[in-house]
Amino acid sequence: MSDEFDLDALAESFLEFLEGEWPKEKAIAYERSGQAYDAGLWAATAGLGWPALTAPEANGGLGLGTAAAAYLHAALGAAAAPAPLLGTLLATTIFGAAGAEGGHELLAAIAEGSLRVAVAEPGSAAVETDGKTVSGTVRNLLDAPGAGLFLLRASHAGRPGWLAIDTDAAGVSVARRALADTTRSLGDVTLDNVAIGEGRLIRPADPAALDDLLTRRACVALAADSLGGGEAVLRITIDYMKVREQFGRLIGSFQALKHRVADHHAALVGARELVLNAAALPDDAPDALLAALSTEAHVTALTADIARDCIQLHGGVGFTAEFSPHLYLKRAKLNEALYGTRIAILDRVADMLEAA
Amino acid sequence: MTQTDTLAPAIAERSFDPISKVGDEQAFRQEIRDWLAAVLPADWRQQWQKVREADLKGVMNWWLNERRKVGLATPHWPKEWGGPGLPFSYQIIVYEEFARGDAPELETFTISLFHTPATLFEHGTQDQKDRYLGGITHGTDVWCQGFSEPGAGSDLASLRTSAVRDGDDYVVNGQKIWSSASMHADYCLLLARTDPNGKRKHDGISYFIMDMKSPGVTVRPIRQITGESEFAEVFMDDVRIPAKNLIGAEGNGWNIAQSTLSTERGLLIFSATERIARAFELDGIEAKNTWMRDVGLRREYAGFYAEMQAVRLMVKRLLAELEANPDKASAKLPTFIKLNWGPLLQRYGEFLVRAEGIEAQKWEPAIPGTGHSSRMRFNDFLKSYGWTIAGGSNEIMRNIVSERILNLPRG
Repeated sequence: MSDEFDLDALAESFLEFLEGEWPKEKAIAYERSGQAYDAGLWAATAGLGWPALTAPEANGGLGLGTAAAAYLHAALGAAAAPAPLLGTLLATTIFGAAGAEGGHELLAAIAEGSLRVAVAEPGSAAVETDGKTVSGTVRNLLDAPGAGLFLLRASHAGRPGWLAIDTDAAGVSVARRALADTTRSLGDVTLDNVAIGEGRLIRPADPAALDDLLTRRACVALAADSLGGGEAVLRITIDYMKVREQFGRLIGSFQALKHRVADHHAALVGARELVLNAAALPDDAPDALLAALSTEAHVTALTADIARDCIQLHGGVGFTAEFSPHLYLKRAKLNEALYGTRIAILDRVADMLEAA
Repeated sequence: MTQTDTLAPAIAERSFDPISKVGDEQAFRQEIRDWLAAVLPADWRQQWQKVREADLKGVMNWWLNERRKVGLATPHWPKEWGGPGLPFSYQIIVYEEFARGDAPELETFTISLFHTPATLFEHGTQDQKDRYLGGITHGTDVWCQGFSEPGAGSDLASLRTSAVRDGDDYVVNGQKIWSSASMHADYCLLLARTDPNGKRKHDGISYFIMDMKSPGVTVRPIRQITGESEFAEVFMDDVRIPAKNLIGAEGNGWNIAQSTLSTERGLLIFSATERIARAFELDGIEAKNTWMRDVGLRREYAGFYAEMQAVRLMVKRLLAELEANPDKASAKLPTFIKLNWGPLLQRYGEFLVRAEGIEAQKWEPAIPGTGHSSRMRFNDFLKSYGWTIAGGSNEIMRNIVSERILNLPRG
């Protein structure tokens, strides 16, 4: 399992591959493509086994944990990569809670890279089902437009559970909602008398515990994505400050500008510690959820703020779509909005601190 | 009866010996906890607040002696110089438990316990070590640091205090400032210029041990914005320092000063951040029925948690680096820690003043030994400037990060 892997080497390989496969120019050009995800990039990552990262070894996966996933998300964030791995990697958590009930063939498909999964947030509304068919609407499902499978919150016989729905099943439709962040996609899913397949209603023994585990892993993933994005946009900005001249001087020599990037850099060093710590805690550590929630709230806001300032530090070109800082700002703002607003998360953190 | 007698707690029921527990971390930890519970009066803060400057030395010496009884006067010192010779991981536990148990901080002895050994262990002569270290491990010698000057703050290397060789002595003239505890000090770690014609301003600086009782030394306490006087100006008027009090070679003072200052980048910062982290926890719990019922303030409080954790984790990484290699810890990490920690403390201090409303506006005398967590809101808020100005202002830190670490061009 995870300790057999050299995580640093793995992290290095993620970054290196994306630097080659998804350079800044590609990221900038992709923005106007209108795609839900980049099929070529997905195929390349699937070829490297990235979607298999958290799938169990029994299903052809690598069986790695939250820490390995965090490094992958940090690399994806650094490249602003349109590869919908957040839901795909989280899906294994839900199947993991399903026990022997099912999901094996789905896990195998995830592991081989042929199935992209859109996962509803734990806080989202559940669709009612009698266990045989389901009808209803799920709004604002991340990465729904490019997915092959939805994992939706369901309510069956008064008990919370999850439904695995093939996106090409009869009665399923997706209305895509354009996002400011073009590196991810969003859709409203409508289910019209959709038949529920064998083993596709997942009834976790402890639904609340599964919600917490999902929240924890998603928060670590989002914080890691933001960390990677923050480090990347700052590096890009510092590089620009070393070549852009005004008044006969490099703008990077102006103290009013360099002090800002020094603060951003120092804050990101702290953010990296938070993400590494939250990602490395075992699932059953008493402070695992607190660390994940507080880290997510802090790091997503931090990177959104750094990316905001990086546009300003670029000056006029920062306002053009030809330069990349705006991609990071938009991705950072979406990360901030996912899995609970900052306000909702801080309320939970406060509850936990009070209970401590 | 001296005032310190009133500080004696209930007679300890047994004797304590944490050092004998080395080898069993949990037992070591527990022994320190039990000892603190037995020896430290629950109301020491109130008692020390009454004593204040009238008998500051008395209370500080009392606590140093209590620590000495259980071998923890100088917990991070090697055996060779009278310390317990604890492995680094146990030194960490000591400071962790001091923070957890709210043991008084030996503020008057900060230089004695940290800066003096950091300097003498490495650069002192045998004679200097024999003569001066014992006064700390076995006595109550207070040391101060004479580095900064009115014209040499962040730009320390431009210091102008002069030391001119005259026979077996150096004759020193000049002025030092921000010298903590110098009004109580027996000795001073002094930087002075022995060669005014050095190629760079860092050249020609020498490092001396100055006896504070020497004729020509005048100390004038500085009243701070907190109302206290923790540091003073030190004036030197033809002060004669014997040449044998030179530390290291003449002109090598700048390099040796780096050893002195490096001590701030380890257990000292760890102790500071752990104490604040403990206070942070208590702040939220104690405000359960006051500002924690205000949804906005409650969220603001929760937002500080991750920032506190980030600094603690950075400090823990620094300690791990120091443990792995005491001589080669990252020089960058302490800079990042300071840039995060100072402003955080200031914002959190301001938050508490705001959250506690009129109560936080009421003035109370400071409490010696409570560092940055006196938990008197306005006092702690004002004291937080110590972290953003002292030890190289954060503006200098930002220059260092941007120019030396991020390689941005000099202005």
